[in-house]
Amino acid sequence: MKTLKYILPVICILCFWSCKPEKFAPITTDTNVVKQMQGTWALTSVIQVDEDASTKGFPYKQVNITNVYPYKDLVLTFLGDAQGNPSTFSITNGNSPKITDLTSGNWTVDNAQAPVTITLKNGTAQSQLSFGTYVGLKSGKLNIKKVKMVNGKAVLSYQYEFTKK
Amino acid sequence: MKRLILSILFCLSTAFVFAQGKVTFSPAAFTAEDEVTITLDVTGTPLAGLDDIYIWAFSNDGVGGGKDALTNGQWGSSSDKAKMQKTGPNLFTFKFTGTTLFGQSPAELINFGFLAKTKDGSKQTPDYKPFKFDPLVFVPSQFRVFPAKMDYTDVTTVYFQQDLATDQNLQRMYNIKVNLTFYDAAGNAVGTKTGLVTTKESAVLFSYAFIPERVITLPAGTQLSKFTYQFTGSIKDASGADVSTSGPVTEVVYTVFN
Repeated sequence: MKTLKYILPVICILCFWSCKPEKFAPITTDTNVVKQMQGTWALTSVIQVDEDASTKGFPYKQVNITNVYPYKDLVLTFLGDAQGNPSTFSITNGNSPKITDLTSGNWTVDNAQAPVTITLKNGTAQSQLSFGTYVGLKSGKLNIKKVKMVNGKAVLSYQYEFTKK
Repeated sequence: MKRLILSILFCLSTAFVFAQGKVTFSPAAFTAEDEVTITLDVTGTPLAGLDDIYIWAFSNDGVGGGKDALTNGQWGSSSDKAKMQKTGPNLFTFKFTGTTLFGQSPAELINFGFLAKTKDGSKQTPDYKPFKFDPLVFVPSQFRVFPAKMDYTDVTTVYFQQDLATDQNLQRMYNIKVNLTFYDAAGNAVGTKTGLVTTKESAVLFSYAFIPERVITLPAGTQLSKFTYQFTGSIKDASGADVSTSGPVTEVVYTVFN
């Protein structure tokens, strides 16, 4: 009994001591979105979305305009520096309508881990695109969105899907 | 003598137009739930040259169920909330949302009008009215555009839904084409293209998608303010011969994105 009196606190201390946060392995491997964006991309699909109609629940919300003009001519290249950070970009329109007024310059993202906004710059000229989704990046699909606003409200947008060349 | 009278009449009518002031909206089309910016040019009105002017707005002019704007205040002492912002010589803006301005639901709001005045009401512009709110419920129509709001750099698709046509000739029309005319900021036609072949999307739906610069040659630096479209085609007369027919000309004002 006397021995038990000493053993029990020791067991309690040991049990308490053994409690520590467990380290779980990541559910998926880390995705470096910015690095995956780098490369040459061909435009494969253009969807025009009437954001106003979507908000109001109107029946005609989007139209696939890929084949209205030769959008598939457009090729976009995002390059990175030695550390994998965004550096320069170029856009070759071919006969495609422009998706931005810029054709070359530098590109940056608002957040390297989870970018939402892609800023294209050439001198003082600047154009902003946003990420549609990262889901396709691993399988070579880049989804970019361009939103047009009136008084801060999204009214019209374009969803561009690119395929890695 | 005849020419002199005509010239005098023209001058008078021009002076009358300037004396009315000029109203523009951004966006050009809006529902009662959209935020809208009114821009008013008071050149030629009794308010020309003033710095402080106030809006006096009212809803549902001539259709019943109208109310004064909640910001109006008293005619002899406008509320400060009704003050229009001066953005240039004789240029004033006022930002509002219909439902908030009038305290009415979207279903209650059909149109609105306004005038501009001095705080004490001693000077005022004429009434500017009625300006319709777009319905919040989708109304099927024989002619429509997609998207509803676009500028001249966007792809626009014009549609003719033949089963909704009310005119007998339009119901029977075949070999359907479309005419497009584009207008610059001053309202001058800068290009027209006729007989553009439509896409038959179904037995009763015809469309034509375009970007203006791909349809007409835009003079350098030209900014388009609007376009018109008109569907045309043929019908058979009593002897079975083809006769040309056309629908009405529909105007679409380009939105200024910001």
